[in-house]
Amino acid sequence: MMGFDLAALLGLFGLTSAFALVGLVLAGWMCWRIAEKAGLPGWAGAAAILLTVTGIGSLISLILLWVFAFMRWPRDGLALAGASPAAAPGPGMAPAAPAALPLPPRVLADRRGWMLSGSGVALAFDDSRPSYTLTGAAGGGPDELVVAEPSVGRPHARLLTASGRIGLQDLGSPGGTYIDGARLLPAHGPRDITAVRTVKLGNVELALSRT
Amino acid sequence: MITVIGWLLGLGMFALMAILVVHVLFALLLIVPSWRIFERAGFSGLLALFHLVPVVGPFIVMAVLAFSDWPKGEGRSKPAHPA
Repeated sequence: MMGFDLAALLGLFGLTSAFALVGLVLAGWMCWRIAEKAGLPGWAGAAAILLTVTGIGSLISLILLWVFAFMRWPRDGLALAGASPAAAPGPGMAPAAPAALPLPPRVLADRRGWMLSGSGVALAFDDSRPSYTLTGAAGGGPDELVVAEPSVGRPHARLLTASGRIGLQDLGSPGGTYIDGARLLPAHGPRDITAVRTVKLGNVELALSRT
Repeated sequence: MITVIGWLLGLGMFALMAILVVHVLFALLLIVPSWRIFERAGFSGLLALFHLVPVVGPFIVMAVLAFSDWPKGEGRSKPAHPA
């Protein structure tokens, strides 16, 4: 009888342990994905869950959850830059009241690329790189988009990409940068141009579209 | 005998209430940050209330965040599509 009870008890613990192991692996996997979606390395999320294996680790995981909830996520970079007008003040530029472009209300995950085209120029890019430099100098690197036109500065502006959204930052070129006709100054910092129609670099007007 | 049963029932109810209160208090520690995470991801913060479900609640919360597209965008660094 005692042996039967002991076997039943051990079986219960074994089942509980199996459930705990499956739960731990599942939670680690899900936290890996959540951390990646926030722009953090996935292993950080999984490690936070694995800390619960140790006794005091549960408390640390709880603290990490609070930190994660209120910290600045890398994913927020572009959105915050678009929201803060003085993110990148340009040298020698008078601080002007920025004409803020409204952020799109909801951005769905979109796997398509982007195209800036017009005036005989076609620039295709995607969010595989965090930023691209728009320049008039030919023969640039893989993160440079060349618009061979005298009015385009070298460099002229910077394109920022993140999770289906793109931003544009003027680098102070004399030719000027315009978003749907509105002048973009270096003092404005990066602006979200996901929903705009045209971007003008110097004398070159480019239409923004998805590929 | 009836008195003993009454005491036992009272004790059981007290234990049940104590467990419930502790559960809700602990769930609150998870609900507050989860509410903020849901809102930052673009979901309704009400989804954080799944933490009130015993045992599987936190798994539901994690699954929603892990396996759905975040309406406010995601920060995956890997290329999402070919050039």
